[in-house]
Amino acid sequence: MEDDLISKKELLDLTGISYGQLYRWKRKQLIPEEWFIRKSTFTGQETFFPRMLIQARVRNILNMKDDLSLDELASRLSDTEGFSEIRLTKEAIVERNIVTEIAMSVYGPAVESKEGLYSFEQLLHLYAADTLLSKGDMSLDEGRILLRTLEKHAGALTGKPCELYFVRKMGVALFLLAPSPVELYFDEGVRLVAKVALGDLVEQLKGRLS
Amino acid sequence: MTEEDKEPGHLSDLIINGVGSAAGGTYDKVLIDGVGKVEGSLTARIFKANGQIRVKGELETVEMEVNGIMNLEGPLRVNTMKLDGILHVDGGVTGENCALNGLMTAKGDCELEEFRGVGGFTIEGLLNAGRMDIRLAGAGQAHEIGVETLKVRQGDKSLWNRLLGGIIPKLKSELTAKVIEGDDLDLEYTNADVVRGNYVIIGVGCSVELVEYRTGLTVHPGARIGKEVKTGD
Repeated sequence: MEDDLISKKELLDLTGISYGQLYRWKRKQLIPEEWFIRKSTFTGQETFFPRMLIQARVRNILNMKDDLSLDELASRLSDTEGFSEIRLTKEAIVERNIVTEIAMSVYGPAVESKEGLYSFEQLLHLYAADTLLSKGDMSLDEGRILLRTLEKHAGALTGKPCELYFVRKMGVALFLLAPSPVELYFDEGVRLVAKVALGDLVEQLKGRLS
Repeated sequence: MTEEDKEPGHLSDLIINGVGSAAGGTYDKVLIDGVGKVEGSLTARIFKANGQIRVKGELETVEMEVNGIMNLEGPLRVNTMKLDGILHVDGGVTGENCALNGLMTAKGDCELEEFRGVGGFTIEGLLNAGRMDIRLAGAGQAHEIGVETLKVRQGDKSLWNRLLGGIIPKLKSELTAKVIEGDDLDLEYTNADVVRGNYVIIGVGCSVELVEYRTGLTVHPGARIGKEVKTGD
């Protein structure tokens, strides 16, 4: 997962944007500072980006650019304000391919609010579970623990960069939520099954919603 | 030394004349003439300083004018900045507009929409600007430069200056950076490892290891280029 980076050059080639645009977006805080990852390569130091995040973000920016000024865009992208009002029905979620039907039918009832609608936050939790499920890392039952963890603790970490760790020891599944960057050291028998940055998920989910 | 505004809800001004010090805080106007020391972070609408100034903290202001030597022990956030003299920032610089006449050094990144003027600069991080137009009178240094348009010229070409530049490297009017990236790059007297751009002009006195360009490249016969690559379509 951590190695899923895209170089600046590759990004520009793929998306067709120019250096100037990229730097302008950085100045306008359309692209967060943390996404600029410096790594040394054989040609010297190069800048890399988290592949999924940056591609989703560039697509989002390019799609919205014509309707909004860059400053408006910045405020739109930097927070979840625009999305916090969102309420979707189960049907709409499955139809728009945001969360798969399986995850929806298993976890949906436990998460939904009274009227059978889903808020952005609830949707995010479902999306997290769905992502791990679809990778084949997590069983359906373990997903329930994940959802409980998220429901209980994700609120405390809203607005902060935060990572979700999924570890197993002797078949027992454990979920951890930690503000990033953090370094965790486990004992020998522990296997880190998955590590997901919640910010990544938020970004992908926003891309799917807009 | 300080003048409290009587009206409640109105921000007061901070005025230092002569030698004096003051605490930080939020003000409407900060006017310093002489030797002034501010012991904490400052937020102000207008910041004008003449002389020697030290601010032990951050500075956030809309309009800034400095004549003299200023030391800032924290990041600087400013809208328009006019600098005559020397400014040293122990952090990053973010702003819209900077008119430089002198020297600016920053420990962090520098993000400006417009950066123009005469003088030198040292940016230890990334220098990110929309339009950058510099006539170098002294060394220009940045770890990395990312711009939309960049024009670099040598400011003063007198013999005396060139002699001094030969003796004291700091006075050599050259731009040095590891990487320069942008859309339109018009360079003279520049040393860089990599220059990447859309339309690139490598002028007199340049020495670049690798040039990558998309649409066009013009090279002065006196310039030295290690390798040139045309990228994209």
